[in-house]
Amino acid sequence: MDTSSPSAFVNGSLMRRYIGQKVRTVIQVVGSDVGSVVGKSTDDLQIIVKGSPPTTTTPSTYLEVIGIAENENSIRAEVWTNFGNSFDPVNYNELCKLANGEFKHLFI
Amino acid sequence: MGEILTAGAIEMIRNETVNSHEDMKPVMQLTELKLFTAQQEPSKERIRVLLSDGTAFIQGMLGITLNHLVKDGVLQAGSILRLDHFVCSEIQKKKIVVIAQLEVIATKSDIIGDHVRPPRKAEHGGDYGNKSNTSNTETGTSHVGQQRQQQVFGSGSNSSLPPSVTRSYSNPSAGLVRDPPPTTYPLHRQQPPPPPMYQNRGPVARNEAPPVIIPINALNPYSGRWTIKARVTSKGDLRRYNNQRGDGKVFSFDLLDADGGEIRVACFNAAADQFFDRIVVGNLYLFSRGNLRPAQKKFNHLPNDYEITLDTASTIQQCYEEDAAIPKNLYNFRSIGDIESMETNSIIDVIGVVSSISPTGTIMKKTGTETQKRSLQLKDMSGRSVEVTMWGSFCNTEGQRLQSLCDSGGFPVLAVKAGRISEFNGKAVSTIGSSQLFVEPDLVEARKLKEWFEREGRSAPCISISREFSGNGRVDVRKTISQIKDEKLGTSEKPDWITVNATIIYMKVDNFCYTACPIMNGDRPCNKKVTDNGDGTWRCEKCDKCVDECDYRYILQLQLQDHTGLTWVTAFQEAGEEIMGMTAKDLYYVKHEHNDEEKFEDIIRKVAFSKYIFKLKVKEETYGDEPTVKATVVKVDKVNYSSDTRMILGAIDKLRTEGSSYGAEAGNSGIGTSGTRDPSFGLPANQSDQYGNQSSNGGRPHGGGGATSCDVCGNTGHVSANCPNTRSENQGQYMGGGSYRGSGSYGGGVPRQHAGSY
Repeated sequence: MDTSSPSAFVNGSLMRRYIGQKVRTVIQVVGSDVGSVVGKSTDDLQIIVKGSPPTTTTPSTYLEVIGIAENENSIRAEVWTNFGNSFDPVNYNELCKLANGEFKHLFI
Repeated sequence: MGEILTAGAIEMIRNETVNSHEDMKPVMQLTELKLFTAQQEPSKERIRVLLSDGTAFIQGMLGITLNHLVKDGVLQAGSILRLDHFVCSEIQKKKIVVIAQLEVIATKSDIIGDHVRPPRKAEHGGDYGNKSNTSNTETGTSHVGQQRQQQVFGSGSNSSLPPSVTRSYSNPSAGLVRDPPPTTYPLHRQQPPPPPMYQNRGPVARNEAPPVIIPINALNPYSGRWTIKARVTSKGDLRRYNNQRGDGKVFSFDLLDADGGEIRVACFNAAADQFFDRIVVGNLYLFSRGNLRPAQKKFNHLPNDYEITLDTASTIQQCYEEDAAIPKNLYNFRSIGDIESMETNSIIDVIGVVSSISPTGTIMKKTGTETQKRSLQLKDMSGRSVEVTMWGSFCNTEGQRLQSLCDSGGFPVLAVKAGRISEFNGKAVSTIGSSQLFVEPDLVEARKLKEWFEREGRSAPCISISREFSGNGRVDVRKTISQIKDEKLGTSEKPDWITVNATIIYMKVDNFCYTACPIMNGDRPCNKKVTDNGDGTWRCEKCDKCVDECDYRYILQLQLQDHTGLTWVTAFQEAGEEIMGMTAKDLYYVKHEHNDEEKFEDIIRKVAFSKYIFKLKVKEETYGDEPTVKATVVKVDKVNYSSDTRMILGAIDKLRTEGSSYGAEAGNSGIGTSGTRDPSFGLPANQSDQYGNQSSNGGRPHGGGGATSCDVCGNTGHVSANCPNTRSENQGQYMGGGSYRGSGSYGGGVPRQHAGSY
């Protein structure tokens, strides 16, 4: 497994800690434009993902994006993964909170 | 002199025309005084009075500031006063005049008026000894101390008497001579003839006017001397008890009067002896001189705030003439359909047709004693049926009677009084100590039920509310595998039911199923192992029969593992099918009949490392001499990651709140820990191991897991699977159980970020 460039688990509000760094997050697609996808983060903030998604993104699917956080609400995506329609955002949100808080030492 | 009093004032007070001094300041005569101490304010004395307006009486209370008037003798029996400041309040449905301010118009006066209308319920039986009256005779003062005065407040009977008699109201000898004037009996209901025993007393005699009967519902602790006429509806056994104050015995019985009032009566010790034999259910009695106290709602389910205690001074007099006005029993039947929505543990009456009844069984109570239990199904017009359970002696008395009625093809009507609603798999009704069962009662409702049953009830479908929800009896108790050993699950009397989230590591391939007996035993197949007769038939020992075709049932021995530990479990048919994805018979055929080894191996391999939620029954069993804890799979479910994650999140939270000390982690039963972590602290710092990693124990953070530390040797920097001490043994040993050290070691591979405790 390539651990050369680890990405931190973030949700909408945690992105600002990693500006310029590689992050990963899951968003629920709200809409898409040419060259970007607008989504809702697991803590209900708006995130803009720049880049081109692999398939046409239908609203309400969950996508995981890994990329560089450009500012506190946008990511320049490198890797996209479709997580499907059934995804529990609450759990993911809790994971992000734990991964950046108390258990940070367990992650990168 | 009669004009002085405000005639009709009391009538107006009663019908609420007059409620306070703002409406009117009536002039009344004080006819009786009584000093008492309120329970709530023991230091304060209050004076109760009886006021008259010339025709009627009403009870009143003097404000504390007025007490001195009585003490100084300014206010006494016979005084005429004007109510300058008062209010009327209603207590226990009686009007009481609470006087804050008054003006004494005349201190002494003869009793005025011709009291035709008898005072209402509670105005008699007062302890109206006049304490402050200096003209008290000795006997008068001796009465005051007594609880229950024998002096009947001569309600109404005062009117036509010469004043001198009433003045010497406290003179008991006068009372003897006087015959109660017949016209002035307060007649609420039938008047029983004055019982002779009341009239022949000695010189210290009390004023023995005939008892005034009041309704049970009017009883309250402030009623002075009262008498009730009631029928005994139920009688309890004589019980012996032992408490801090010593031994005692008690029995109680319930009463019902003509107004439908009910009250429980208890008799202790000497009174119990005295009265126990005299009380017979169904008889009418007159009771007086009892004590009233608040009812113990826990045991007393009658609709009365009070209960009576009789002592040796109380009197019970049987009424030999029947009184049709007083029913034998009062019921408040609820329909079975209502029971569904009623609260568990509430007490109800119910009536229905017995559709079936089972024989008596014996149950062992928690206390170790045995008791009888018998259940039946009761149906009624609501289209519902309920299970009624009777306990103890009911089983053999009413229970037996019902059984014989049912056996002979009948469907008797059963009325239950004071049954308790219980809940287990729906609602049911059980008998309690004070319950009563009536078989084929002579009631309107019983007749109606019988008619309904004949018409349609017999064949009408009835939904049972008693076993409708055969719900989840057991709450899902989530455990980790290591907890089975740690918490010694299964070793107590009853088996433990737990749920684990685990992966199947290994499955024993030989004997994954057995040949089972297919013969139906009731509604379940026998399933015992059948032996091969050799000629193609199979013999079942239990059924003692031979069959040509046997069933194949799974008996899978599986090894389960989760992040904390390993265990062996056995899965039977239903769970087996879920895990294997095919029936035991099919799998058997694949292996043995078709001899398709490859396919068989394929199937087996798929099973390995599949993760499920297992519901296990854990119980310690003794094989020969050794007791071993065995686990059986009761149910297999696919893992729902979402809910599982939530559970883990909850557990993390719990961990957090329990504090971050290492002790808390280790002791946390919610998640389970790998047991052997302690050594890590004992080791010297700066251990360097095979991997060349310098690690210092001092640097190991406290709380919430930390750097990877090995369970086996306690060093940090690696985990047990990679531990230099055990590595050589562990590697490559996946299947076949065997030499796993400690609990919590991983099966293999490089575990990432192994947090010592979750």
